[in-house]
Amino acid sequence: MLNKILKFTSIYVFCFMSNYVLSHHAFTAEFDANAPINITGKVLKVEWINPHAWVHVEVIENGKKTVWMVEGGTPNTLIRNGITKNSIKPGVEIIVRGYQSKGKLCLPRCIANGRDVTFPDGRKVFMGSSGTGAPRDGADPRERR
Amino acid sequence: MMHFIECLASTSWSIALRESLYLYPWIESAHVLFIAIFFGTLLFVDLRLSGYAFKKLSISEMNRKVLPLSIIGFILMTFTGFLLFYAIPIRNYQNLFFRIKMFLMILAGINALYFHWRMNQEGKVWDSNSFIPFSMRCSAALSLCLWSLVIISGRMIAYNWFDCDKQPQSEIINFLTSCVVQTEFYEALDGI
Repeated sequence: MLNKILKFTSIYVFCFMSNYVLSHHAFTAEFDANAPINITGKVLKVEWINPHAWVHVEVIENGKKTVWMVEGGTPNTLIRNGITKNSIKPGVEIIVRGYQSKGKLCLPRCIANGRDVTFPDGRKVFMGSSGTGAPRDGADPRERR
Repeated sequence: MMHFIECLASTSWSIALRESLYLYPWIESAHVLFIAIFFGTLLFVDLRLSGYAFKKLSISEMNRKVLPLSIIGFILMTFTGFLLFYAIPIRNYQNLFFRIKMFLMILAGINALYFHWRMNQEGKVWDSNSFIPFSMRCSAALSLCLWSLVIISGRMIAYNWFDCDKQPQSEIINFLTSCVVQTEFYEALDGI
């Protein structure tokens, strides 16, 4: 009996924990859920790399130029969501929603976790990773209710 | 050293791995799997050696059965680990947790060599009188602690808290990660 209980709890704990462990690094370790951002700007460059792609966006607000470095999912997840090297390339005007990093010095550039990106044709695509513990803001279509 | 790492990062295979859609996640998963094989089998040897479990089995018998798996696990784990490093050389080289992990692995390696050296000399005596010297029990406990810490610090590499492109960091951190901060950064900081 004790054995059975142990077995079930360990399976339960494994399934429950793997939800967190299998995801990348936890959202709250690096980003601030209380600092949502909504930026519009031109793509400067895209680092199409593992384990996270980075989109550099140049934002001009009141004549002041800021560069945002936005973290996305892996190249693989981006392609699955419909973001390709051709759709997100330098010069394209995009809108990014996400959360700023805990450090807000913005030196030499601001850092953020991207949730979704809106393209010039109005297409809005999830660009983050699922199950990182990011706020449930509805950006992730695979999010559990 | 930094020059060598930069060379490594600019090779076409490194770039291909870094930008790969499938290979990188596959290598990542395989690395974790081989860690499980290596650490799982090591656990048997260390538990036996520390005298906590499997006392019916002699130490040399345990080694004969389990060690080949540990070695296979270790080789594949190291190989996939090297590929993961090779995919993102600069960031890993300057990562504090990566450096801690390498240091701990050297300690664990020395400990393993010491165990096998003693085992070769006195193994038969341990088998015959089923007595394990205290120093060997310590070595087994140390092995478990060190490899656990290696796995934990390996997991921590993913976190960017002490990364070179995330400044300001304390001077000790920048020293430990051989991070040279561009002067423009401090000039910009003065302006605030």
